[in-house]
Amino acid sequence: MSGFFQVPWSDYRSDLIDALWRTISYTVVSFIGAVLLGLVVALLRLSRAWPARALAAVYTELFKNIPLLAIIFLTYFGLASAGIRLDVFTAGCLSLVVFYAAYLSEIFRSAISGVHDGQTEAGEALGIGKVGIFVHIVLPQAVRQALAGTNTMLVDLLKSTSLLVTVSAAELMSEGRLITSATFRALEVYLVISAIYFALCYPLSQLLLLLERKVRAGVPLSPWRRRRVRTARTLLAADLGTNLKEPAV
Amino acid sequence: MTEPVTTAKTDPTPHADTVVRIEGLSKSFDGRLVLDDVSLEVGRGRIVSVIGQSGGGKTTLMRCVNLLERPDRGTVEVAGEVVHRDGRMVCRDLPGLRRTVGMVFQRFNLFPHLTAVENVVVAQRKAGVPELEALERAVALLRRVGVAHRGLALPDRLSGGEQQRVAIARALALRPEVLLFDEPTSSLDPEATREVLSVMRELAADGMTMLLVTHELPFAREVSDRVVFVDGGRIVEEGRPEQVIDHPEQARTRAFLAAYGSAS
Repeated sequence: MSGFFQVPWSDYRSDLIDALWRTISYTVVSFIGAVLLGLVVALLRLSRAWPARALAAVYTELFKNIPLLAIIFLTYFGLASAGIRLDVFTAGCLSLVVFYAAYLSEIFRSAISGVHDGQTEAGEALGIGKVGIFVHIVLPQAVRQALAGTNTMLVDLLKSTSLLVTVSAAELMSEGRLITSATFRALEVYLVISAIYFALCYPLSQLLLLLERKVRAGVPLSPWRRRRVRTARTLLAADLGTNLKEPAV
Repeated sequence: MTEPVTTAKTDPTPHADTVVRIEGLSKSFDGRLVLDDVSLEVGRGRIVSVIGQSGGGKTTLMRCVNLLERPDRGTVEVAGEVVHRDGRMVCRDLPGLRRTVGMVFQRFNLFPHLTAVENVVVAQRKAGVPELEALERAVALLRRVGVAHRGLALPDRLSGGEQQRVAIARALALRPEVLLFDEPTSSLDPEATREVLSVMRELAADGMTMLLVTHELPFAREVSDRVVFVDGGRIVEEGRPEQVIDHPEQARTRAFLAAYGSAS
């Protein structure tokens, strides 16, 4: 073990922080994009129009069955050879978005179609319009259903940003490769890089588990819903002349 | 084979102010005729109970009132306005119609992600009722149906009877002109059934207009102004509750009541 920790880490501190920040940026931007595209694809798959359903099905099957690395190469090198030059950040995000949107669309489709028809019907019977039913009734219930799978995808996406090393995306893994080539301390460097990924992913997955539990327990998370429940609690307490004991909300 | 009886113009206690009028209504599903030339009226403040075997078309008839089902033929008129005629929707404001017609479902259909009080608030807010007013009305309605103490509970923490009472409060929140009850006690145990029927009895005493599909014949006899027996998609017999339930004229009604009596 002697001489195991011989990489001058202090020399690379700012580069590592930049790389960490870049990894987080890839993750956040790609995840938001993948969620939005995944939702659109899921809605297309649930559409009554068969061309929309067919288009969405082709998309999902296509990108679910191509390796992410191939998509990254196609986006960065392939498109460039066809005259479409994307910078590495755009190409990296685009690859992650199209790849993860395919998986997320499946999770969302199953979650949306899992909401019982009676819920939509109850909304209709209350005179709530189609958009209102989707936004206030179907979507919140679908989110509860989709949360576990979506959270898994988020952590997976964060780890998959490491594949962007192949296009030198300046994220953590690329930085690790640079340090290794300068120090020839592959084991030490990649242990540290792995530790940083773990330090990102483990708290994130625990946080998402906590969020999942809170959502399942019906804890109001949005400020407006918290305000509504608070006001309701006050009104109910005044009406009953005693405090309510419901603990979850 | 007995002749079906149409009801629209045979009400012995005609009421000038009709809230629901159905005339010559027919509806098929996949070529199977579920409702065949049905006519029915519910006057303001009246309670009409629809009884009959499962699959006889009772629920479909009720769902045609708020157009959750679209009739193939006939006319549906709600609060003096024709909303559907001869297979065409003529209602210009479908959400408005549905706010006029409250509905309580057999399986409650509460929104599971929202607390009881929020369930009663959500449609009010979409209808433009201010937040505080909607909450105050929700609290008052939950008190009225006896579940204010569970106002902050999620539906899955409520008993069946409590869920159905919240559903009734939700249906009342938009001050509908008529309430539709689709077998509201079918999924409930006897205790919960008593709770729900007690709330419905109070609504009846308050003069609420109601159209209910029910298997609770003693309750139908107690609160209804009229009872309608539906079988095979047609109204077989209708009239005052003591007439239809105690002294039915039609053989099919008698057979149904005999089967009901032996089953219960």
